Amino acid sequence: MDAIETLIPENAGAAPALEPVAMVALDAGRMMMEAGASATGVKIIVERFALGLGAERVDLRIGYASLAITIGIGQAGITRMRKVGHLGVNQRLDQELWQLAKRISIRELTTEQTRAELDRLASKTPRHSALVMAVAAGLACAAFGRLLNVDWVGTGPVFLAATLGQFARRELIARQVNGYLCATLVAFLSSVTGGMGAHWAGSATITTAMVASILLLVPGVPAVNAQSDILEGHPTLGSARAVSVAMTLIFVAAGLWVGQMLMNHWQ
Amino acid sequence: MNLTLPFFLHQAACGAIAAAGFGVLFNVRFQMLPWCAASGALTLAVRTLCVGAGWNLESASFCSALTAGIAVQWLRTTRPDFSQNALDVVGCIPMVPGSLAAKAILGLYALMIGASHDAETLITAVQNTLRVAFIIGAIGTGLAIPTLLLRVRVTR
Repeated sequence: MDAIETLIPENAGAAPALEPVAMVALDAGRMMMEAGASATGVKIIVERFALGLGAERVDLRIGYASLAITIGIGQAGITRMRKVGHLGVNQRLDQELWQLAKRISIRELTTEQTRAELDRLASKTPRHSALVMAVAAGLACAAFGRLLNVDWVGTGPVFLAATLGQFARRELIARQVNGYLCATLVAFLSSVTGGMGAHWAGSATITTAMVASILLLVPGVPAVNAQSDILEGHPTLGSARAVSVAMTLIFVAAGLWVGQMLMNHWQ
Repeated sequence: MNLTLPFFLHQAACGAIAAAGFGVLFNVRFQMLPWCAASGALTLAVRTLCVGAGWNLESASFCSALTAGIAVQWLRTTRPDFSQNALDVVGCIPMVPGSLAAKAILGLYALMIGASHDAETLITAVQNTLRVAFIIGAIGTGLAIPTLLLRVRVTR
């Protein structure tokens, strides 16, 4: 019995007071990760939340799929871990979290109020409509096409193919299709649509039009985050992001490759 | 490269459209989209000028990302509510070498399946792969330097 009692931490009685602070801070960090923040951004937000809610010490470990935090007040301390979901990009949520952190750091909110605010942000932060996003993807890829020297008659098909690709991507994500498989399917669909459209339009740059049609799938933010994470002292997370970026590019290229084979056969 | 004003404006306009388009995909507010477009126009304008001056794409991308990083840090001293990612990262998205990456991987596929036994295909694929790595590295480093030096975002 003595041996078992010594295993119970001295701070066990303080855990209920620290628990909500740790979980709220972790949830804020998780939301930042899922909104596409770099490791430094996540660290700053989690520290602001925890310190603003009364913690005196904060240590955070940032992994690709989980966050772990140790917070302390006086002699008491706890460690908790939280799973991180799909890493997307949501700048509006990112900004809202920075604003909330500012309010917390001046002790404007209690832990319960902060929890309610996080729940509100998670469910109420608006997104652009599917149509707006699809048209935006189309315009972006058409502009990319021009930067890659796609001729003007090939630009319209690129716009249509990327718009269609964005619609398909959104549908596949909503059906919880694996992200890499989704990249291959969308790359195939967009490249074939873009290639056929460019062929029918009489474009002289069909292959480039096919490539431009899939550029909505290039993981630009994770690629830049991977680099900045490594530079800012988070090589593990940065390496994991870089591997994920490389895998995405391989799957995107696979879709493009199959699309090009089909186009070659068809022509 | 023969740098003319119409070509320069074309590149800047395409950079602006691409950055604003990706801004929408990244759920940037509508009010912020003109700033995303300005950031994209700035990066492509600087890169076009550098390439026009005879620089290679890697150096030009680095210089361009560095300029965007400095501009955004400067802007955020007066407008701290601006999201850094929304401006500098989105602005640099048009420079991410997606096309080159696709070509590099397709070249490697061609070698893998035996479609080409050409030494030139291998060299091109490896060259493209290295260029992708160095361009992404140049963009990331260019963006990170102003942040690391100034650390404005810590005071956000």
